Amino acid sequence: MRAEAADADIVARTQAGDTDAFEVLYRRHAARIYTLACRMAGSADDGEDLLQEIFLQVYRKLGSFKGDAALGTWVYRLALNHCLDYVRSRRAKMNKLTETLDTDTSFEPHAPRETPIARMDLERAIERLPEGCREAFVLHDVEGFDHKEVAGLLDIAEGTSKSQVFKARAKLRGWLKK
Amino acid sequence: MHPNDAAITDYIDGTLDVRERAEIDRHLESCAACRRLVEDFREIKGVARSLDLREPPVRSWTRLERAIKLEERPSVARRSPAWLQPRQLAWLAAAAALVLSTVVGLKFMSNGARRAAPAANTAAQSAAADAASANASAQSVEAELRQAEDHYEKAIKGLEQIANAEQDVFDPKTAATLQKNLAVIDQAISESRAALRAEPASEPAQESLLESFKAKMGLLQDTVALINEMRKGNDAGAARIVSGIKQKGD
Repeated sequence: MRAEAADADIVARTQAGDTDAFEVLYRRHAARIYTLACRMAGSADDGEDLLQEIFLQVYRKLGSFKGDAALGTWVYRLALNHCLDYVRSRRAKMNKLTETLDTDTSFEPHAPRETPIARMDLERAIERLPEGCREAFVLHDVEGFDHKEVAGLLDIAEGTSKSQVFKARAKLRGWLKK
Repeated sequence: MHPNDAAITDYIDGTLDVRERAEIDRHLESCAACRRLVEDFREIKGVARSLDLREPPVRSWTRLERAIKLEERPSVARRSPAWLQPRQLAWLAAAAALVLSTVVGLKFMSNGARRAAPAANTAAQSAAADAASANASAQSVEAELRQAEDHYEKAIKGLEQIANAEQDVFDPKTAATLQKNLAVIDQAISESRAALRAEPASEPAQESLLESFKAKMGLLQDTVALINEMRKGNDAGAARIVSGIKQKGD
């Protein structure tokens, strides 16, 4: 079955109340969405809650899927928007602007450790990044958005996106290459 | 002069024009510190693009499935799969409600803990109000802890009833694994309670107790999910859950 037809089949079956079809959709995309949610939120617990909320939204909004993009792309966009809403809401609650977080931008180059960075170490270190630069780093360096897109998604200036990503890389370097 | 942050970032991202790029190339030839910086940033970016996906906990689908079943969707023509008999529906709904109440309890506790911190800071400004305010905050946190504990205990009791009633579906090895993991968690709960009795305001002890409750909830939810998958005849789903339970116990 072609990908578009397979997507349409899953959507139709789910809308007809077939939970097994929705489980197929979930299993196909859960890891990618959970990974994004954990990294954006900076914690596995929050990531799990976000995963639940996102797939509930997917279930509720499946009727609005028109097939213009692949189902996976549609799910990812919905997940990204939900994660961004979460980040904005948390930022508003903390009454802190992204730009004011972690204003220490001083950077001292030092001799790096020669050992290559392990992926597991980087994964853990991303969770430790301050809010603001973590989201910019995840969107730019992990998810592959350019700075203009990151700026639009996080509602910040393009220059701020660049400085946040620089700050994140510098912090990660300090933790992982010392 | 070293390039600024934005220039370094653009250089690594390959978005500079030819002239700007050549300028930085020239600088890097003579500046070892910036050269190392660029190398490290490139490595970080490269590793970041190759990070592995993370698998969600096995209970996530079961939680989601329960939540979906509780959704009121009159526009969706519901069908009842053969495996989902009225008895199963009843305990699934009960479990979901209990889990929900627990989550509410936990969030309440978290908010309470956050509220307590600024209250203590304000009190520090006034020596006279300090003791009274701190005491009130401590009492508030303790009250909220008790409330969260109640929620957990109710949820755990409900899930235990479900798990105990259905435990005949387990093979002896799986049953032993479940019992072993439960015993470890119960021990942690017991130790956390003892620590709290000795020092009721101890935040580590409070957190440890709530974490232990959460772990027990998680294990019982996994157990219910396992029963569910076994009744569905989904061997692959059951194996995934058993594997997750074993990993947590290791």
